[in-house]
Amino acid sequence: MSRSKLQRRTFLKGLGTTMALPLLEGMRSESAFAAPSSAVAPTRMALIFFPNGAIMPQWKPTGESGPLELSPTLKPLERHKQDMLVFSGLTQHHARANGDGPGDHARNASAFLTGSQPFKTSGANIRVGVSVDQAAAAVVGKQTRFSSLELGIVRGRNAGGCDSGYSCAYSSNISWKSASTPMAKEINPKLVFERLFGSPDDKQAARGRTRRNLYRKSILDLVSADASRLRDKLGKTDRQKVEEYFSSVRELELRIEQAATKSVKPPKDFVAPSGTPRDYKQHVRLMYDLMALSFLTDSTRITTFMLGNAGSNRNYQQIGVSGGHHSMSHHRNDEKKMADIQKIDQYQVEQLGYFLDKLKAIKEAEGTLLDHSMVLFGSAIADGNKHSHHDLPIVLAGGGGGTLKMGRHLKFEENTPLNNLFLGMCHRVGATSLKTLGDSTGVLKGIEA
Amino acid sequence: MLISVTCKACEFDFQVHARFAGKRGTCPNPECGRAYRVPAPANSSPANPSAAERETQTRTTARRWRVGGKIGAASLAGVVSLLMLIVAMGGKPDASPSGDGNRAADDKTAIDKPTGQQKKQPAKNDELAGVSFDSHVSPFLQKYCYACHGPQEMNEGVAFHIFKNEKSLFKSRKLFGKVISHLQLGAMPPEDHDAQPTKKETELVVRWLDRTLFDIDCNMVDDPGRVTIRRLNRSEYDNTIRDLLGVDFHPAKDFPSDDVGYGFDNIGDVLSLPPLLMEKYLDAAETISEAVVDAEAHRPKLVHIGASKLKMSTGVRYGGGDLVGLSSSGEVFQTFDFRADGQYTLRAEAAADQAGKELAKMQFRIDGKPIKTFEVLGRQRQVTTYETTVTVKKGSHRFAAAFINDYYMPKAKDPKDRDRNLHVGSLEIDGPKNGGAAQLSAAHKRLIFVRPSAKVTVRQASEQILHRFITRSFRRPVTKAELEQFVKLVEFVVKQGDSFERGIQVAVQGTLVSPHFLFRVENDTKPHDPNAKHTVGDYELASRLSYFLWSTMPDEELLELAGKGALHRRDVLEKQTRRMLKDPRSRALVDNFASQWLNLRRFDNATPDSKQFPMFTPELQADMRTETEMFFEAVMREDRSTLDFLVGEFTFVNERLAKHYGLTDITGNNFRKVSLVGKRRVGVLTQGSILTLTSNPERTSPVKRGKWILQNILGTPPRDPPDGVPELEDPKPGEARTVSLRKQLEIHRRDPGCASCHDTMDQLGFGFENFDPIGRWREKDAQILIDSSGVLPTGEKFSSAIELVRILSKRKRDFSRSLSKKMLTYALGRGLDFYDKCAVDDIINGLERNDARFSTLILEIVNSKPFLMRRGDAGAEE
Repeated sequence: MSRSKLQRRTFLKGLGTTMALPLLEGMRSESAFAAPSSAVAPTRMALIFFPNGAIMPQWKPTGESGPLELSPTLKPLERHKQDMLVFSGLTQHHARANGDGPGDHARNASAFLTGSQPFKTSGANIRVGVSVDQAAAAVVGKQTRFSSLELGIVRGRNAGGCDSGYSCAYSSNISWKSASTPMAKEINPKLVFERLFGSPDDKQAARGRTRRNLYRKSILDLVSADASRLRDKLGKTDRQKVEEYFSSVRELELRIEQAATKSVKPPKDFVAPSGTPRDYKQHVRLMYDLMALSFLTDSTRITTFMLGNAGSNRNYQQIGVSGGHHSMSHHRNDEKKMADIQKIDQYQVEQLGYFLDKLKAIKEAEGTLLDHSMVLFGSAIADGNKHSHHDLPIVLAGGGGGTLKMGRHLKFEENTPLNNLFLGMCHRVGATSLKTLGDSTGVLKGIEA
Repeated sequence: MLISVTCKACEFDFQVHARFAGKRGTCPNPECGRAYRVPAPANSSPANPSAAERETQTRTTARRWRVGGKIGAASLAGVVSLLMLIVAMGGKPDASPSGDGNRAADDKTAIDKPTGQQKKQPAKNDELAGVSFDSHVSPFLQKYCYACHGPQEMNEGVAFHIFKNEKSLFKSRKLFGKVISHLQLGAMPPEDHDAQPTKKETELVVRWLDRTLFDIDCNMVDDPGRVTIRRLNRSEYDNTIRDLLGVDFHPAKDFPSDDVGYGFDNIGDVLSLPPLLMEKYLDAAETISEAVVDAEAHRPKLVHIGASKLKMSTGVRYGGGDLVGLSSSGEVFQTFDFRADGQYTLRAEAAADQAGKELAKMQFRIDGKPIKTFEVLGRQRQVTTYETTVTVKKGSHRFAAAFINDYYMPKAKDPKDRDRNLHVGSLEIDGPKNGGAAQLSAAHKRLIFVRPSAKVTVRQASEQILHRFITRSFRRPVTKAELEQFVKLVEFVVKQGDSFERGIQVAVQGTLVSPHFLFRVENDTKPHDPNAKHTVGDYELASRLSYFLWSTMPDEELLELAGKGALHRRDVLEKQTRRMLKDPRSRALVDNFASQWLNLRRFDNATPDSKQFPMFTPELQADMRTETEMFFEAVMREDRSTLDFLVGEFTFVNERLAKHYGLTDITGNNFRKVSLVGKRRVGVLTQGSILTLTSNPERTSPVKRGKWILQNILGTPPRDPPDGVPELEDPKPGEARTVSLRKQLEIHRRDPGCASCHDTMDQLGFGFENFDPIGRWREKDAQILIDSSGVLPTGEKFSSAIELVRILSKRKRDFSRSLSKKMLTYALGRGLDFYDKCAVDDIINGLERNDARFSTLILEIVNSKPFLMRRGDAGAEE
């Protein structure tokens, strides 16, 4: 066997899990998963964060608002050009120091979806704001088995400080359930899959599931009663912690109830992931697969995904870039470094393209899953060298259920809050009762169809 | 009668009871909290305020601490200390200003109270002698700040013209905390501001503000602090499950990471509980309870295998898989799991085609050994069940039904008499009949030591089992009401038709997701009163000890002493602490404290450039970590001086690591202790792990090494660099370095803004330049000869790493303070606050008295006020 053949085979084998999804396309009609019951498909929202900002001149479309001309970095999305909006002028004001000194990366992650200023602390009194996904999930999350799904690629850092006096909670989470409770993310595709659909080797357990859920419910009843008595005895700070316990228990109870009525199976041909791929690209793509799967099966309508923790120093040797991402992002206009960073930017955009392909390939109601989704891809740092937080790199793909007029570059006035865009997105997933979000000043105008 | 008092610091007016005249108190204004002395009543001889003031001043100088900028400012507000406040508000007049109300509690803790007999020292900060608000601070603000923060403009809502004198500043401590950090950072005034202060000007103002607003007096401040309720972190969870149930698996490995605060992952404030984690807790509890308790332990279990899943030596499956037909001699079989020694009923469904004189014979066999032979009736394929009971040993056995008398006469007259066949529909085993108790796991038997019987009801058995189990799980006696809920849960399960064991299983699962298990709950009688200080309960103390030293639950001995109320006794506490340090479980201090203090967890992610350093294999990396861990453990186990972390002249190596270090005569994979006397290495700073984790992938980083020392050894982390500071230029790939790192850094330091920190940092790092990015000794970097000499800003000179380490080791108090603060943070599970500095000081003094021994460090912490006491909560700062 020739060497190249062997490599190709090994490659395919290694990709076994990730290659599974194309099969999903034909799956829709025959499989047993719970499709959204109404004829009108629900609108979903995926919020994707990438660290360290981008090389903006290569990223941004030039000129004023108008038909979309893709920049070099966004070129890999050419085939989705008519399904996306690219923004100029959006700002995440609270990622700025505003008197708190250094720590732009931690602020970048924690302000990205909250539009709130994180309180600078190494530990005590962690506080930022509720993130948009959680604000929306609080309103519409009950309609699906999982009110939201938080995914990532790497665990939070587990020793030492994270960023200039900010607790690591700020740099490893973008999703915040309350001002003080970050939503930990799942990084292992296997565990994501098992959360969504149960463990495949758990057939025995499946038989006793009804009984088991009955006992789980009794247990949760018991412990929440316990927690409520405990809460009354505690001081204010401790109470907040027990509140977290409560709200997590409530969420679980809800899920058990829903499991009784909505049994969801993955499409038959979807190969359950067996663990975490070592290869970054495979890992990212598998996570995108799972996001598509969670939308497809209507397990959730809201997901967040961190392609890296804030200030990530990942090495992208696979695309011929050596050096840590964060170190290089302080490029001081060094052309080589800027070229390298741009490669990373584009590489991430390619993976986004893969995700959009998946969504587009799935037929649903009168269109595709992509038509019924809003995929936001961005960061609250624009220029990684200078740590600017205005004119951010933000792409919104998907039709938002026909409510968005796509294929355009939209330029907004300087310092327009990013949260204005988020507010509009929340309304589109059904959280119409939300009037403000973080520092929003209103709904972003001009995106609508 | 009441005395009217006006706080000298903030001008807050309040009243106190006359009997407190001459005593000390703390200003009730939450933004102030300054110490003062109650003047004599107005109608008696005129008070001598200057005398009182002088005394306070002296004390302040005697035991004074700088309160860390903003944090200190924020926290001070929480120290509306001493009960004077209550008087001021017309509350309980019995309360006494000197804290007498808490004396009983204080005595119980056996803490040496500060005597107030501190040595009087002259004020050190003489350079502040002539500095006052009017002379320096106000002019400074006018000149450099008013333009944007003054009468004309109030950017960000900040204006300084409203501060007319020193006293007025105290109302805005938080604001001035920020002012200080901005000035230190050089963030204000902004670059484009016309007038820029000189370094000297800024420094004076910063120091003056700092001292005036944030110095505290240990004789005045008496605050044990308060730790936020702590959730078990991942390693604590795993260890606790191990010790609680005696099973060693690691359910927490799939839990999301615990966020880190103050450098550690056991900080109550930071440990959150998102839904994902709760879900994992519930799953883990289920898995654990099922692994420990065999729910069907006392039920015979029937295992039925239909034809479609049976194996056969010959024959054919037919009838849609319902039957296996054997047309010639052979067997149908399957391997069954016999769960315990005992009597099992073996069954087979069978039918036959008859021919010849004999009926079809079916023989049961276990592992090929004949058990019983049946004659199978009937011509039609109507199946009948055949069974027998037999004693079988626990384990996997092959159970077969064999056809042993095949008959085939194709020429027989009667077509129905030509062929004898056996048909098998299923095999099953049912048992064991006499229960499988003997085969139950030790963990199951430990937990379920009593079962319902004629004499014992389900309720009684559950009560006995769960009383013990939940008490251990909650690390304190379970209350009647709590126990009752869980007993009811067992009864509920049994009522559903499940076994008693299943009931216990569910109760165990419930216990493991209870907030009392997942959180380390500590009670206050007055949870909302920050002045209500008290010693923690004995059971709470047992948990504080065990989670500090072992990262797990208290053992029987601790719980027993707690039950007797004896644990608080100083002698008992010391004895227990020493016992715990000797126990193998104190290894947790290596795994959880040392690995975070020394950043070893980050070392695991170190990725030296594989082209330059192909010898840096995963094995070598593991060796390096082992070395540092064993080194730390040796200091702990041998109760050596903590200074040995810096200057210990020994280490642990195996052959691979020894070669890496250039040490000879070490063979094999086993680690052994070697002397470093006369060698070029000493203590942790020259170990491969630390040297690698403070390097860049391609080169050493004197800056990182220096910063690491400042942070982890001297406890004076440099402030963050301003935004946009570039990394050093590295040579292009493939090109050799032409300018030494030292030279490059020297150029860098010409910028005075950089020099202030880098002067120290870089010098420290240079001392280690003879060690390459993976900790090997080198004389040259590329072609440039290494110069590892340096001069510290203090003037001390060194020419090698060893000399530098010796200089560092002379700063005993700095090192002790740094280590004590880290260890105390870890022990308490909270960030240290300004008032903890007093406790830290006591620990350092203890270390000084006892040759800085490791056990002293631990004992001093265990005996410290913050470790033994807590208080109510004023609520989070806004």
